[in-house]
Amino acid sequence: MRVTATWFWLASLISPILAIHASEAGIIDWHKPLVGVPLISSHHTAPSFHRTENARDRSTKSVVLTTTASNVVAALHPENGTVAWRHTFDERDHVIAYKASGDRVASISGPGGAAFRVFNVHTGALVIEQQLHTLESGRLFEPPSLGVGLAFESSSPNSDVFVLTDGHTVRRISGGNGEVQWVWSSPDQSSLYVYSDIVTTPSAVYLVGLAKSFAAYTIHIAAVSPTTGELLASVDVPSTVTDGPSQLLVLRNKSKDRHVIWLEDGRIRSLKLSPELKEKATATKGALYKKLIDVKLSEDGQLVGIKQDGSGRVIKLAEDGTLKVTWEFENSATSKAYTESMYTGGKDMNGETYIARVFWSHVLRTASAHVLAPHLADGKGLITGFTFPFATHSHGIISHVALDAVNPAELQVLSRILVTTSTGGVQLWQQDQLQWTREEGLSDIRAAEMVELPESKAVTTQAANEENESFSARLSRQISDAKDFPQYAINFARRFATGSYASVSSSVAPQANASQSLSRDTFGLRKIIVAATSHGKVFGIDSSNGEIIWSRVFGLGWAHEVGGRIIPLKLFVTKTVGDAEGENPQVVVVAERKADNTLVDTVVFHIDALTGADVLGVSKDKDVLQGKDVIAGPSVGAYLFQNDAAKIVILFDEFLQTHIFPDTAFNYDVFTRVVKSLHFPLRSSAGTSRTLTGHKINPVKEFTGKHVAYPTWTSAFPSNEEIRAIVTRPSSSPVASFGKVLGNRTTLYKYLNPNALVVLTGTTTAAKVKSCSVYVIDASKGSILYHSVIPPLLSGECDVKAVFTENWLVYHYYDSETGPGDQTKSHRIVSVEFYEGNKGDDKTSSSDLSSYSNASTSVYHFEQGYIFPRGISAMATTSTKYGISVKDILVATDNGQIVSIPRRFIDPRRPKRKVTAEEQEEWLMTYDSLLPDDPRRALSHKYQILNARQILTSPSLLESTSLIFTYGPLDLFSTRSSPSGTFDVLSEDFNKVQLVLTVLGLLGAILVSRPMVGRKKVKERWYE
Amino acid sequence: MTATVDYSKWKNLPPPPGFSQSSSSSSKTSSKAVAAASASYASLKESRAWDFAISPAKSLPMQAFMLYMSGGGVQIFSMGIVFMLLLSPFKNLAAINTAFAPFAPTPAPGDKSSSTTSPNSLTALPLQKFVYLICNLLTLALGLWKCKSMGLLPMGTGDWLAFETRGPPAEVLLM
Repeated sequence: MRVTATWFWLASLISPILAIHASEAGIIDWHKPLVGVPLISSHHTAPSFHRTENARDRSTKSVVLTTTASNVVAALHPENGTVAWRHTFDERDHVIAYKASGDRVASISGPGGAAFRVFNVHTGALVIEQQLHTLESGRLFEPPSLGVGLAFESSSPNSDVFVLTDGHTVRRISGGNGEVQWVWSSPDQSSLYVYSDIVTTPSAVYLVGLAKSFAAYTIHIAAVSPTTGELLASVDVPSTVTDGPSQLLVLRNKSKDRHVIWLEDGRIRSLKLSPELKEKATATKGALYKKLIDVKLSEDGQLVGIKQDGSGRVIKLAEDGTLKVTWEFENSATSKAYTESMYTGGKDMNGETYIARVFWSHVLRTASAHVLAPHLADGKGLITGFTFPFATHSHGIISHVALDAVNPAELQVLSRILVTTSTGGVQLWQQDQLQWTREEGLSDIRAAEMVELPESKAVTTQAANEENESFSARLSRQISDAKDFPQYAINFARRFATGSYASVSSSVAPQANASQSLSRDTFGLRKIIVAATSHGKVFGIDSSNGEIIWSRVFGLGWAHEVGGRIIPLKLFVTKTVGDAEGENPQVVVVAERKADNTLVDTVVFHIDALTGADVLGVSKDKDVLQGKDVIAGPSVGAYLFQNDAAKIVILFDEFLQTHIFPDTAFNYDVFTRVVKSLHFPLRSSAGTSRTLTGHKINPVKEFTGKHVAYPTWTSAFPSNEEIRAIVTRPSSSPVASFGKVLGNRTTLYKYLNPNALVVLTGTTTAAKVKSCSVYVIDASKGSILYHSVIPPLLSGECDVKAVFTENWLVYHYYDSETGPGDQTKSHRIVSVEFYEGNKGDDKTSSSDLSSYSNASTSVYHFEQGYIFPRGISAMATTSTKYGISVKDILVATDNGQIVSIPRRFIDPRRPKRKVTAEEQEEWLMTYDSLLPDDPRRALSHKYQILNARQILTSPSLLESTSLIFTYGPLDLFSTRSSPSGTFDVLSEDFNKVQLVLTVLGLLGAILVSRPMVGRKKVKERWYE
Repeated sequence: MTATVDYSKWKNLPPPPGFSQSSSSSSKTSSKAVAAASASYASLKESRAWDFAISPAKSLPMQAFMLYMSGGGVQIFSMGIVFMLLLSPFKNLAAINTAFAPFAPTPAPGDKSSSTTSPNSLTALPLQKFVYLICNLLTLALGLWKCKSMGLLPMGTGDWLAFETRGPPAEVLLM
């Protein structure tokens, strides 16, 4: 133990990174907390304003509440759009509904509503957490928010909450301590009927649901006693509802009566709720309706009905229980001049209601909002209309609106409209002024790359024609070029004297008022992160500060008419700064377009990485980005082929036909020259399980004019295993050394077979004995080079994360088995290194050896397992320009940190005894099974990076420094890491002044002593 | 100014002691004694030549001790000693003929025609020079051994790893 401790102490002394300095936090790194794209499909989850009143000074404070696709309940400050608080839910515990009342917001999550939580609406403090049923026993509905509901008994601070879950179970949960007071379950659980709404009155809790009947649904209502949970009455209302629970509302009028409202044959029907459920339904007369819209004002007895011609009417439940049309929005009928209107309701601080109609005008190309204040103008209703310049070319279309309004003066209504866009943006408009925008689409990045920036262009007046330039013209040009020389000389002298060089620990972000064009800094630490999101938008993000430099919305092409989605599959950098002088770097996004008429196409977008401009030249800069349809159908694989001549994107369609992009004659020529040596693995389904099949491309064109790939091998995995993930080496990882030199000067030659890749498999759901496997296979012939079997999670699932670089494989899993001895359940990291031959000095030259050579599978490995204190959600290695620096493993841990694990700690060759002198020369340490949880190795400083699922690393111009960008279903974070220390720049505390003074002093000494020595020499001659 | 020196009066002065008028006259006087003296002188020279030839070997134990004391690290002292060990054999061998010239046997007065017996030639004292060569090689070997033990000789494959190159891969995997 003593020895270990000493070694650890020594190791930490030598360890290049001790920790990120506090002074560097926020300068070399940035963190963007996101909340995710709001779930707008259901009124249970969609964003809404919530206003609370401070009892003391009667001031009100509002927040924007929402649940998001990233499985978060979040509150935003409406003033500036910052996150007030957010709560992330577990991956298997999806949040499906929320409801706010007073200072509390309650949420239901999990299948069927397994968990119930109450948060403070302003601080996000978790007040109550109650597991209602196990995740497995929950009933799954589509949509998931069906069959759940929340109702607060009253608006008092600690009132009890009635929770409807699973479509048939109601609980009364104490608002004070979260205890379940009573549970009532519907006696008939045969899923014939599902309750979808819950309302409370002092006399009864009403559950309103639909029962399945032959052609349509009928309404089923149950009344439960709020005190005891006994069923008071239940009734099947003779009715025909065709459109499901969205057309079923419960309104409350001023006399606190509840009425169930539904649409039947175009007539709105209403049924008063009483504990005995004896009332009869009544129907409205007059106009026919096609849809009812819940504008979240059911407590105030208002809804919007859409007439058959599409125009919207505000319908109010009067005190006598009749439904009255109080307003009809003008010109709201379906028209080609504007889109279908969206209706939403809101309240001001006095509790007065407002209803807004928001639509996009195709003629004016602006968004318009008409806000109705029914209580103004002596109760006749006042409408306030305005247009707001919603930028549809950069934010898509408005998909949801929420309203908040104030009435500062008589006949004046100021409204705030929260807009959720189809690209995942959230915007707040105050009348026609945009207050803030949150790009929540960034929480769902599907593909990202870092692109190097070009050098800043030196300002020189280039002569048009240097040969024919006259002498005087040339002289004057060069004099004009030299006008900046004094400035340069002064700068040089100052830099030389003071040592104010670019520093690696300073920010490379541009100055706030800098108008210079995009250019890289001295060390190449500033890059552009091009990120394509699943909400059809691509962003160019400055890696130095996280600012969005440009963004483009993917155009739908022909699917514009029918609607659809663009889902990016891959993103390739097809032109870098070094490829062509003076040209901007370019990226290609390969995306799948799923049109709403079920047609799937593969579209390619070719983008200038610095400006976001369309390289294809089809779309204008102020418009959506149009791509090129390369395959009429889905693609089975898209790859980047690169050699010295070209970078080509190669795509394969379902019939394994080859498509290349950009489809130029030059690229085709390059392709035909290498086509014989190309091969690629594809996932295929053989029978029930998914396997891997290797393919080669036929060098001879088919009659269709396309090269067709043909299968060459199929993986030899057991039939009950299926592929979960394929892990390849990072595409740009230069190998600095082909071997590892040992203390005795022999060499372990690294197994660098370029065809090796890692396949993670798991047993199929049908298999009785569950297990997971890690394979390393040679993807050109399918032979297995390494195989290890890993215990699965207790649930039988596989959660293996792996990273593979050079000859080094690291994987992480949770060992839920307790083995013999004192082995415990723990997270494990296994480190494996592959070497050529079967002992030291064996050399097969694996990196350029043909896979068909016998020696290509001659490989042996070292492996060692370590206990890691945490679960992880992502894993990567640092990457540097030449691969000389040590590679550290970066992991995103489950406590929201990005941690760098030094290679020395997980070296698979750490000896399990005292290290010998030779091993000491290699800096090996004695094996210690536990990797210490050292907070100094957290690169993320104090930030909590939630749900990081991907870590992207990219080299800078400094060999020592690697840029890191993490993204996931939520936060973005970027920092730098120097695994071997910043050995290639002078340290920050290097005393340049002292050096200069010493040199100057020596110079002075020479000047003084030189004549003295000369005189002395002459004198010596005289007196010799 | 007619002062002239008459040299003739010194013509009959006896030679200084040790300078005989002519060898023939001295050999006449004691040829046997002279022969014995020159023989012992030659053997003395030869034994001195042998001594000189094996002198590098004699200093080997001392140098080995010095190497042992200087340690295995690459420092200024050990490096100085190692450089001395590596350089001195070459220096010695370069100066081998001049070093052995004093010990070369005096050529017999009769055969002046033979050039092989010139004291500066390589063939003078061949056996001693060969032994001297071997002894110097021993010193060199000691120096090299020290270099090797210090890890300065590129003996292992690891020392040549940086010069290894690999060609482009034979097959290209699209990933």
